Amino acid sequence: MSGAGNLRLRPCPRLRVATIISKMRVLMFGWEYPPYAAGGLATATLALANGLVRRGHAVTMVVPFPAAAGEGGVRVVSASDVSANLRVLRVASPLSPYAASSLPPAPWGRRTRPTAYRDTLFEDVSDFAVAARRIAAEHPHDIIHVHDWMTYAAGHEAREVSGRPLVAHIHATEHDRSGAWTHPGILARERDGLRDADRVIANSHVTKRHIVDEYGVAADNVDVVHWGIEPPDDGDLHLPSPFGAGVPIVAFVGRLAMQKGPDYFIEAAAKVVARHPTVCFVVGGAGDMLPMLFDRCIALGIAHRVYFTGGLTRVETERLYRIASVVVMPSVSEPFGLVALESLRAGTPVIISRTSGVAEAIANLVTVEFWDVNDIADKILAVVNDPVLARELRERTNEEMHDLRLGPDEPARLTVESYELATTGP
Amino acid sequence: MDACFYFQLHQPRRVRRYQVFDIGSGAEYFDAAKNADTLRRVAERCYLPATRLLTELARTDGARVAMSISGVLVEQMERATPDTLKSLQALVAGGGAELLSETSHHSLASLRNADEFADQVRLHRHMMKRVFGVVPRVFRNTELIVSDGLTPVVKALGFDAMLVEGADTVLGWRSPNHVYASRSAPSLRLLPRNYRLSDDVAFRFSARDWSEWPLTADKYASWIAANPGDVVNVFMDYETLGEHQHEGSGILDFLRALPGALRRAGVRMVTPSELATRKPVGLLSYPGPMSWADTERDVSAWLGNGLQHAAHERLYSLRDVVLGTGDLELIGTWRALSTSDHFYYMSTKWHADGDVHTYFSPYATPYEAYISYMNVLRDMEQRVAGLKTRLKTEGRRPETKAPARSSRKPKAAKAKAAKAMAAKRKK
Repeated sequence: MSGAGNLRLRPCPRLRVATIISKMRVLMFGWEYPPYAAGGLATATLALANGLVRRGHAVTMVVPFPAAAGEGGVRVVSASDVSANLRVLRVASPLSPYAASSLPPAPWGRRTRPTAYRDTLFEDVSDFAVAARRIAAEHPHDIIHVHDWMTYAAGHEAREVSGRPLVAHIHATEHDRSGAWTHPGILARERDGLRDADRVIANSHVTKRHIVDEYGVAADNVDVVHWGIEPPDDGDLHLPSPFGAGVPIVAFVGRLAMQKGPDYFIEAAAKVVARHPTVCFVVGGAGDMLPMLFDRCIALGIAHRVYFTGGLTRVETERLYRIASVVVMPSVSEPFGLVALESLRAGTPVIISRTSGVAEAIANLVTVEFWDVNDIADKILAVVNDPVLARELRERTNEEMHDLRLGPDEPARLTVESYELATTGP
Repeated sequence: MDACFYFQLHQPRRVRRYQVFDIGSGAEYFDAAKNADTLRRVAERCYLPATRLLTELARTDGARVAMSISGVLVEQMERATPDTLKSLQALVAGGGAELLSETSHHSLASLRNADEFADQVRLHRHMMKRVFGVVPRVFRNTELIVSDGLTPVVKALGFDAMLVEGADTVLGWRSPNHVYASRSAPSLRLLPRNYRLSDDVAFRFSARDWSEWPLTADKYASWIAANPGDVVNVFMDYETLGEHQHEGSGILDFLRALPGALRRAGVRMVTPSELATRKPVGLLSYPGPMSWADTERDVSAWLGNGLQHAAHERLYSLRDVVLGTGDLELIGTWRALSTSDHFYYMSTKWHADGDVHTYFSPYATPYEAYISYMNVLRDMEQRVAGLKTRLKTEGRRPETKAPARSSRKPKAAKAKAAKAMAAKRKK
């Protein structure tokens, strides 16, 4: 029986939460944000902010602005209102995780490079945190949201000032970024930042498992929110194939860094070239492994079939997805792997590492072990040679990409649930 | 009220991860170690304990069930788990189980090639005669696939009755609890599965969120007794008993208590061949192929997407040349590739039923299953081509095309083939 007689006058906790979160003011600290994009994080952060705004929340996004660094200390150099509910504050700071290394390129044999970071990194992080105190005092907010370890200190300081709950988002762990050569200072900051936060968001179950096992973060304090994807940028995305019709193109998109496994891509390419008369390989991206990859192509005798593009703009990347027959992502460690979503959005099948976070979110994938170059080559040849397989992959993934689960608003919806838990406690 | 319990026993020979680089290398197609391991595990958890229990129940309670054992499974048991085969032989010899007929390789031949279908039914019949000393009178097709086009073929192969899915779309207002006949072959009895009572055991037995959990033998027997009609047909995988429903769920205790509970409820256990002698209450028509799988009850689990169709077509495009070589080992391998499971693993039905597919698949993705399978077929094409050239250079001519109707195959040649197979097995 439901009726007026059953109504009781007592506080309803869920209702209270609903009132609090009807419109949240989010103070967000990021380190990778357009136009600075080293990987997928910039795209994902922007998509999340846009999603929150579409859902009626207000976001103040604080990001470092390396171009203005070194001119009179850390300060806000620009504040722009992108829309009524999205304000971007750019802080003059050299903070950048993949600062171009001035070290000489390592010889073939890889994984000899000790570190990928700037010498003054920790100072930059502290300076950014000082700026965060000021910003937190000046910009009223209901929740603080920080992305990856470099902004955890900033979030901590902001919470000191405002007393609002802190949500720490983790997109990549130090282990993902540096493999075996992790930096102890960064490990400590990452661990402390995650344990200090009121709530943690991991971008995949792979990442969640890692921080629970390695850092002792309480598992029930961690929410998993897979990245979403927005419609492609405007611009003419059509590009006639530079190799002529009928030549299959196999693409790699990403930083040329050990984490992404471009060397396995080259090794697999050699095996494919030996069995296919025309197929071409395009390596789209920049990074300090470029010289060694180049040398390796020459040594394998496939330099005439492998094309290096260097760093690509968004539009150029979109064009590459569209001319490719298949995109390969043999990442050694991939907490998520936005490249897979971007490629599928462009209608191009992907072959990806079995352990990547995106493999949890999408069913229609061809998966491989990153080190198994025979397996990668076998699957490339299958997709390139078998029109039935290629068509089936395209059709099935196309269906899947229209699923709401992967829609642009889903990460924002789940993130707000996380805010709710951070505010009320579990 | 009567109850007919039927169990399907089948294990495929799973194809190993077979890469393009393996083509022409002479590498094995099947993952022998994994197949043997899986069989031993299933035998230990289900086949052995369940079979011993049924043998005992046949002696003490007069329990009688029906079984069909695929030819690919019998071959694997002969090699990997001879004890299990012996226990099944004892069960059949003791009258505890009636054996049914099916295709030797648990294939989808009925959907693609009538000659191959007839060949595989005969191969299975010979195998049952050789291994168990019986000739089955009742037929069950792979995964209960049936259509109006198939029932006359089954009748022509000499069967009295056939097991079918008691799908609502076919039965309409009618109850599955009767013996029916086929509209397109009225002398063939059809025994429709009561899927509700079957799934109560096969799927829901250990579901703790089910309102009827825990299901006791007495409760279940009372449901059967309370059903309107003449006979309740409970059909499921044998692996339900200890594998799909693990031992800790109490499934074997349930089975142990069942014959007594049925007797107390006034339910008699009958076998399909007894039902085949009864007068049908009406005719059933299956316009399109129907099976017992998934929510659709069609054949889309095996032939639902482009990959599955392409792979199946390619397999059958090789049939004539493979049979034409007269190479018994090659023909056996080709037939092992016709097993329905290979196509099941390529299914991309993710939602709802997809979970079931993933549970059973040895591959990470359906695409991987397809890639390995197609590489194997490419290798087989090359082997066949190589074989033909070798025979030519040796001055022997391969048998020309396979006979249009294999029923006209000379009996002597077949007997010889069977003898050779048997001799090989003894080695």
